[in-house]
Amino acid sequence: MDAQKVDMFIMSNTKFFEAHQIMAIRERLLTMDDSKWHMISTVQFKDPTTSLIVSLLGGSLGIDRFIIGDTGLGVGKLLTCGGFGIWTIIDWFMIQGATREKNMQKLQQFLY
Amino acid sequence: MITSRNKLYTMLFIACIAGYIWLYLSMYNNQSEINSLNTCFIKHTTNIPCPSCGSTRSVISLLHGNFNTALYINPLGFVIVLIMLFAPLWMILDFTTKRKTLFDFYNKIEHHLKKPHYAISLVLLVIANWIWNITKGL
Repeated sequence: MDAQKVDMFIMSNTKFFEAHQIMAIRERLLTMDDSKWHMISTVQFKDPTTSLIVSLLGGSLGIDRFIIGDTGLGVGKLLTCGGFGIWTIIDWFMIQGATREKNMQKLQQFLY
Repeated sequence: MITSRNKLYTMLFIACIAGYIWLYLSMYNNQSEINSLNTCFIKHTTNIPCPSCGSTRSVISLLHGNFNTALYINPLGFVIVLIMLFAPLWMILDFTTKRKTLFDFYNKIEHHLKKPHYAISLVLLVIANWIWNITKGL
């Protein structure tokens, strides 16, 4: 794929991924066929900052987990009052990483 | 989505152990101590009960055989009892036969729950339960 397109993608989507994944994504995109560009450029990613805000406000109801697509864990969090309040606090720190991980999983469906 | 079988089973195992320990503590300590040990973050800060407040009391009254009281305190107690009873048994079954039926089941349920008509109706149920909790003053 065209290096210019790939760099544009990387620049506009850096905040959605872990720093150590960026280079691998770039390498992979460069070797890919141009016909996939349309699909990849239209993928919607979840913003880690948004999920952090949701986690701070609605974490004890599990809304943060529902938003990033971890429905099963969300139900677990809802049923236990946010894991007796402990899981809520853990997730304030974990949710951004979890969101980036989710975004990577989503992109991987198109990469491989 | 949880990507591996063992990760899900570890989390479920820890959750079940924590649940049983909590249940044991709540059943054999006296009631005043439990009330001072207020676990719910929302209730602690805002004094308004959350959708799943009262589920410990609900599970305890279920264990005593008071189905109506359990239903009155919090219907979510039934869901919790079902999960706490069947999840460990299912996990043991999976471990002994080296399969991943519970993991597949979990993924299937998660897939279904993401469909809008299930999701919206369940969200409405939880909100209704929440309103009921507030009016009951749990």
